[in-house]
Amino acid sequence: MANANTIIGSSIVIDGEISGEEDLVIQGTVKGKVALKEALFVEHSGTVEADIQVSSVEISGQVTGNVVASDKVELKSDGRMVGDIKAPRVLIADGATFKGNIDMER
Amino acid sequence: MATVVGDRTFINGNLTGDEDLTVHGRVKGTIQIGKSLIVEPTGVVEAEVNVANAVVSGVVVGNITATDSVEILKGGRMVGDIAAPRVIITDGALFRGGIDMGEVKADESGLADARARAAAAKRGGGAPARAARPATPPRPAPRPAAARAATPPRPAPRPATPPPGRASDSPSAIASAAASTGASAPASPSAPKPPSPPGGRRKKILLKRR
Repeated sequence: MANANTIIGSSIVIDGEISGEEDLVIQGTVKGKVALKEALFVEHSGTVEADIQVSSVEISGQVTGNVVASDKVELKSDGRMVGDIKAPRVLIADGATFKGNIDMER
Repeated sequence: MATVVGDRTFINGNLTGDEDLTVHGRVKGTIQIGKSLIVEPTGVVEAEVNVANAVVSGVVVGNITATDSVEILKGGRMVGDIAAPRVIITDGALFRGGIDMGEVKADESGLADARARAAAAKRGGGAPARAARPATPPRPAPRPAAARAATPPRPAPRPATPPPGRASDSPSAIASAAASTGASAPASPSAPKPPSPPGGRRKKILLKRR
């Protein structure tokens, strides 16, 4: 995670669209849309209110929106998510909260 | 604590916060940060920027308003207006736009300083300037003066020579004088100085011969 090229710090609020071809770590707040070809990390302090299109996503913070991942979606124990997930692999850890639909069809 | 936008990341929208933002990639929209914006050489920012400090090594298209300073470093390129109390543009930077560093200093102490410097420059530079001025004009001045002094005296002799009128007693003298004047007249435009003396000499010779 620390090696990620893009980090959105905890005091940052982005209202718009983030796209890229590298890992993205969100410690702050992002509203709008996130489209990555690599991994997204929503850390404990991170809040994402966006439609997310990524290779994979690891959620320790709060995500509100639909997630489409080409690889996997991992909801950590302190992760909270409201929205639909479409991914071949979905992991939900004990302690995580989730509300929405999951589609694991390829 | 710090926010980094990687070189393969593009953010389009409004970005606000209270921490340093380093841009290796691309940000479009608006940036409002209570601390520093650092645009790295690979970074491209197309945004209205509101920050405390901005350091531009990459590209910025848009206006920057900074509460402290804006710095455009070597290799940095910016098109837009800057409003900041401190603006530093380093050699090798490219900038096109307006800069507003505030009004107070420019209107009062700043202007006073500028006037004082200008006055000092006039006094300090005035001595050499005056020395230089007298040095140059005197040289040209003497030349024309000498030339004028040299030329008029010689033309003056001409009318003095027409005192061929004195020699008007003899028609030959008049003819010779007319010839001499006629010769001197057409010759004078080309070379006024030489003809007259020869004419005078000829006349004198003629008179002497007579």
